[in-house]
Amino acid sequence: MNKKQKTRAIIIFICLFVVILAGTILTGTAGHGAGEDISVAMKDAVLHETYKVSLFGLIDVNPGLISAFIVTGVFLIFCIIVRIFVIPKFKTIPGKFQLLLETAVGLFSNMAKANSPHSYSFLGAYIFVAGAYICVSTLFELFGIQVMTTLGTPISLPAPLSDINGAVCLGVLSYLVIFIGGVVKNKFKGVGKALKEFSLPISMSFRLFGALLSGALVTDLIYHASVTSYGIPVIVGVLFTILHALIQAYVLTTIASTYFGEVTEPSVKKPKKTKKASA
Amino acid sequence: MTGIPLNLDWQQILLHLLNFVVLFAILYFLLYKPVKNFIEKRRKAYEDIDNQAKADREEAEKVLAEYKEKLAGVDAEIEEKRNAVLEEAAHRADDIKEGARKEAEEILAKAEQQAKNDLDRVVAEAGDKVAQMAQEAAEKAMFGSTEDAYDAFLDKAEEK
Repeated sequence: MNKKQKTRAIIIFICLFVVILAGTILTGTAGHGAGEDISVAMKDAVLHETYKVSLFGLIDVNPGLISAFIVTGVFLIFCIIVRIFVIPKFKTIPGKFQLLLETAVGLFSNMAKANSPHSYSFLGAYIFVAGAYICVSTLFELFGIQVMTTLGTPISLPAPLSDINGAVCLGVLSYLVIFIGGVVKNKFKGVGKALKEFSLPISMSFRLFGALLSGALVTDLIYHASVTSYGIPVIVGVLFTILHALIQAYVLTTIASTYFGEVTEPSVKKPKKTKKASA
Repeated sequence: MTGIPLNLDWQQILLHLLNFVVLFAILYFLLYKPVKNFIEKRRKAYEDIDNQAKADREEAEKVLAEYKEKLAGVDAEIEEKRNAVLEEAAHRADDIKEGARKEAEEILAKAEQQAKNDLDRVVAEAGDKVAQMAQEAAEKAMFGSTEDAYDAFLDKAEEK
């Protein structure tokens, strides 16, 4: 492509961009519906009071739960394909995809071993699943899959962990894993060590919820106004979501493995103090 | 909004939990465990190769040490063997010399005996001849001139 062709392509691209932008502003129907208040959308992103999705016609649930089910379904299909077609063909010298899988498993397995050297077998599996779930489910919101709410309006499926119920579930479950690990390894002393960190489930839950919700809110805010919905979402939406996915996966797995290592560490008996002879 | 803060819904929390448990089972049995097993298997295979290499190296070092030790003692062994061979050679040379001397003595004795026998025989023969010649000379003296007989005696003696 020579310089003249490049200039022509750029001009055509700018013209198209301006035309689409003008069209969007003039037609003026952004957000969940015409005339929707941003405060309602943002409040609903936090509380999930307005927009519910019907789960097989049985109960109305938050869209985040539907996202969670879809993510699990995607994982199921992916894992079945990998188990049947990829893993049996593993080679001693790995290919690119094999290397990716081995790195993912090895990363969490080694993290568990490093942070909890006394008991890491189950922890490795748990943080692998939790890390994969956080990472993939956060990236899931980028696809913007549309579902119909019970009110009859379409809604983009959010990240499952931006739903407070999902975040609380994972935070509390992580704490339970730590607690049970302590009990199994250190009996009553493990219980004491785990209970000492009573604020952990709350902090883990709300860290996840806050981090992912903030991303969702900022993205919602940007998309709500037509003017800001061009260009900026590439940085804010995609980049922030990717960063959130990686950072939150890393943070939760690190915290869980560190505390797990702490409560499963065998307690050292203190030497008995010899009574000083009274003068 | 219900009385529960942040609109927490226990039913949905349990549904999320159920979803996570299912996801755990899927990821653990279909992905994590098989991949980890493969990694462990490969690690063990490499460990075995490493151990085998270490054992081979130790064996090689042991053999090398044995050879070095043997090599250090081989000079003394060679010297010892050389001395033994030289001693044996000296013994054999002495034996050969002794044998040769004895053989020479025997030959000499035999030769002396032979010479003595020959001498005796020659002397005996010469005595016979002299007697015969004396007899012939006497016969001639009796039957011919003394000169002729004398010449004839001398001719006979020269012939012999």
